[in-house]
This record gives sequence, structure tokens and C-alpha cells, in this order.
Amino acid sequence: MATDAAIYPSSLVRAPGYMAWPTARRIQSSQGMAETKATNGAKSAEERKQAREPEMELIREAQAGSRTAFDTLVRQYEQQVLRLALHLTGSEHDAEDIYQEAFLKAYRYLGNFRFECSFYTWIYRIVTNLCLDQLRRRKTRREDRAVVLDHSGGEIDVLASVSDNRSFSNPGKELDRKVLGERIQSALDKLTPRERMVFELKHYQGLRLRAIGEMLNTTEETAKNTLFRATKKLRTQLAGLR
Amino acid sequence: MKCQLVQEQIVSATYGELAEEQANELERHMAACPECAGEHEQLLSLKAIAEAHPVLEPDANLIARARLKLDEALDALPPRRWYDRLGQRIMNNFASVWAAPVAACLLLVVGAGAGSLSGYQFAQNRATHTAATQSAPMLSATVTPATTPTAEVGAPAEIANISSIVRQPNSHMVEVRYNQVVPRRIEGSLDDPAIRQLLMLASENSASARVRDDSVGLLAAECRAGHGCRAAGMRDALLMVLRYDKNAGVREKALHGLEPYVAEDMRVRDAVLEALMSDGDPGIRTAAINILEPVEADTSVRQVLHTVSNTDVNPYIRNVSRQVLNSMPEIQ
Repeated sequence: MATDAAIYPSSLVRAPGYMAWPTARRIQSSQGMAETKATNGAKSAEERKQAREPEMELIREAQAGSRTAFDTLVRQYEQQVLRLALHLTGSEHDAEDIYQEAFLKAYRYLGNFRFECSFYTWIYRIVTNLCLDQLRRRKTRREDRAVVLDHSGGEIDVLASVSDNRSFSNPGKELDRKVLGERIQSALDKLTPRERMVFELKHYQGLRLRAIGEMLNTTEETAKNTLFRATKKLRTQLAGLR
Repeated sequence: MKCQLVQEQIVSATYGELAEEQANELERHMAACPECAGEHEQLLSLKAIAEAHPVLEPDANLIARARLKLDEALDALPPRRWYDRLGQRIMNNFASVWAAPVAACLLLVVGAGAGSLSGYQFAQNRATHTAATQSAPMLSATVTPATTPTAEVGAPAEIANISSIVRQPNSHMVEVRYNQVVPRRIEGSLDDPAIRQLLMLASENSASARVRDDSVGLLAAECRAGHGCRAAGMRDALLMVLRYDKNAGVREKALHGLEPYVAEDMRVRDAVLEALMSDGDPGIRTAAINILEPVEADTSVRQVLHTVSNTDVNPYIRNVSRQVLNSMPEIQ
């Protein structure tokens, strides 16, 4: 195996002593949050509510039976849904199925949506549950999904299609990358469906743990613990690659 | 800092889920603890490795295909008639399980409310019903001149009294509370507790002596016959009548009714003794002496008879009591 420096660029390797927490997603302590809330909290809540208002109007229309309103909603979320389903299942065909089932379900149960959460959360809840079902079914079938298939069943060279600025031009490295990719996927497959789901949503989709909790109908704390277990397992699996 | 906790915190921090203060504290800790710093390293490299399985944007063809299929499926759904939609709505509402406990509680509250309300109404009806016959004679005494309300009202004789008048502030609206009397009648056997209750009420506070006379007569007859006299409170009613009724004839009837119990019931005995000593009517005093015959041997009875034989205004009674005393020897 090539040295780690060749696999991914040095910029990603942190020298000991340099700690960089992801600043983009840094959250305030609860106290800090309370303070901010006190000063401009009411306003931002109002703003947020106002920002959601057009969507709420759209949802109400769809609930009343407007097909065009529903289609608009679909268009707003279809890309995210497909992205998630595609990455999780690794198959365009499966992703399409999930997309279909998810939006049909949404259409059927739109009446149940009571605006207590955002529509985004609601849709994602449906999708994640469908994905979980898929993962569970796969586990029992023990399929090997080391490669990504397109709709006609042909293999896609995943890594080749990734536009990157990491200058992986060396063919030897490309092969390494492919092997690495497969290793990752098999490690991910070894997680339980829930662990896989949480890792997917957190690491790949970048959702907050609180949102993940809502989508999986559990608490933020539970989601956090699941994430912790998942990372631990993955590290054990991929220990040799360091 | 426990290292298990720190490890978890490192994971949270690396994914941006740790609060700022805690993150800073963690940084400081890792500067000092190489083990935890190593953990952090490993996690970062895991994250990097995971990028080897990147998230792909779904290509336009995929999206188009999926959308098309969805449209077809939605078009294929049967058109929703109004009853379909209503049914769907109901099913959806049943499907939301967490509304169920709330609905159940609401149902319980509503049911309890309805039940207690109807129970209250029923009890009220019973109360007005029993009050009816005796409040009719009270009518003439308590009718007060009423302001002319706009609400409908029958002949003034039906209104027993006006209890309050409230004017709504800043308006022409006035609220008047008044009590109405509803004349009622009931027919039933003497065994009926309702009838008995009415009779007892009548014996206490009916304005008409004749009504009292009738009721006491009936109660006395019941008691003599032994028809559950004690439990139903009829005996108490008769005792009250004997003590307090103004009409001698009524008192006599009560005495007559209590006669069978003078031996067994101390209260009856005391009441009769009281009557013997203080009743204004000689006929009643005489009757009392006769009634006390079964208990002549009792000390308190003899004491009373002794007093009566000396102090009674009526000579005949003095005589009779003396006779009774003499006829019975003293108890050893």
C-alpha cells in the first residue's frame, strides 16, 4: 500500500498540535445561544418563519389537492433525495425506486403533515426510513456492493468521474483509490443499517445531529451515540490503511 | 477528563457538534494529552479516507427519468372524489397515533362531563319534585314585588322569590335570578321511599295542620305496623312531632305511632316521659301514662311518675300515676 501521503494530499493531514475544528459548523454553547436569542432571537425566529411561509403556502395548496403545487415541492427536493439514495444504495436503479416510493408516500400522506417540523425533515424522514428498509433487506441478502452500477447495469468508475483538485493523475494512484473506495464501502456495509444511516447523514450529507434524530424518530443523544459507534467501527475496519 | 468521554467529544467536535466552550477546553486538553491528540488524528484520517467514496450528484438523466416515472404513477392514481378524500383524511388522522392519547383523554373528559351533568340534572329534578308540594303553601307568604323583566314570566303566583338582580355594565342588559315553584303530584305506595320522605317533610313543616295530621297519621300507622320504621327515619320524624308540634291531635297521633317502641328504644321512652311531664294537653299526658305501662318498673319512669303524682295540675292524672306507682312493687 502506498504511503498515506500519496493517497490524500498533505493538506488533509494535520500536523500534531494543529487543531482545527470545522469552523463552518461551529455551534454556540447553549448559554451563548440563549444570549444571542435574547438579542435577536425573536427576529430570527420570525425571519425563519417568514422564510418558510411560501413553502407552507405551497404545502397547503398541495394538501388541498393541487397537483402542480405538489410537483413544485417534488422539484425542490428531488435532487437531495436522489443524492442520498444514490450514495447509500450505490445503484441508480435502487435510487429511482426509493425516489418513487418516497414521493408517492409523501403524496398519499400529505394530509398528515401538521407543520410541526419542516417539510424537509418530513420528506427526509420518509426517505431515511425507506433507505433503512433497503439496507436491512440487503443485509439479509448479503449482496456485495463494492461497485456503483448505472441504470443499465454497467459499472461506473466512481473515482474517475470525481472532479477533484487533488491532482491524482498517477494511474497507480487511481487504482489505489479504487481499492480504497471498495474498502470504504465494504467497511460501511459492515455497520448496522442505523449506524450506516447516521454516518451517511452526518458525514456525507452534512446534517445536524438534531435533525438526524428527528428523521430517525429518536433523540439527538441517541444519534450522537450511534455516530460514535459507527466511527469506532469504521476506524477498526480501516486501521490497516493508515 | 475521562478519556472515553473525551473520545466521544472528539467525534462531536470533528463534526462540528460541540459547543464552543467545550471545544476550546478540548483543544487545551489535547495539547497536553498525546493519546487524545492521536485519537483526533485517526478520526481526521478516517474522514479523509471516507472521501474515497464520494457523494455524486445525480445526473440530469436520472432525475428526468425518475420524475417521469413519478408523474406517470401519480396520473395513474384514481381521481379523488370528495368522499375518497374525506375517507383518506379520516384514515390519515387515525394513522397519526400520537393524537390518539389526546383524543382518548378528550373523550373521557367529555363523557365524564356529560355523565355528571345528566346526573346533576336528574338529582335536581328529584329535588324540585320533592320540594314542590310543600312549597306551594309558602307561595303567598314569600312573593315579593318584582321589577317587570322582559323575559317571559307566568302569573306572579308561580314565582316563589327573586334572589338577585344584576345589571350588565354599560348596557341595557339586566340579569334576574328568581326561583320558581312547580306544583307537582306523585302517587305511590307507602313503601315507596319517595312517598315516605314527602310524608316526613310534611310532618315537619307543612303550614296546614290538616296536612300534618294526615302525614303523621300515615307515618304512625306505618310505625305501628312495623314497616321499617327506624331505618327510614320515620321514628325520628314522629319524635320531632311529639316534641314540637303545636297541634295536640297531631302529637297524639305521633305518640300512638311510637307506642310499640317504648320498651326497646330509650329515645322513645325519654320522649314519652318528657311528654308526660311537660305536654300541655291532659289527654296526651294520660295516654303517655298508659303507654309507659310495660316499663313501669324502670327507675326513671317511676321517678317521673312520682313527680307527676305530686305536681301535675290535673287531679285525675295525679290519681292515675299514683295508682300505677302503687300497683307495681319497687324493684329490689
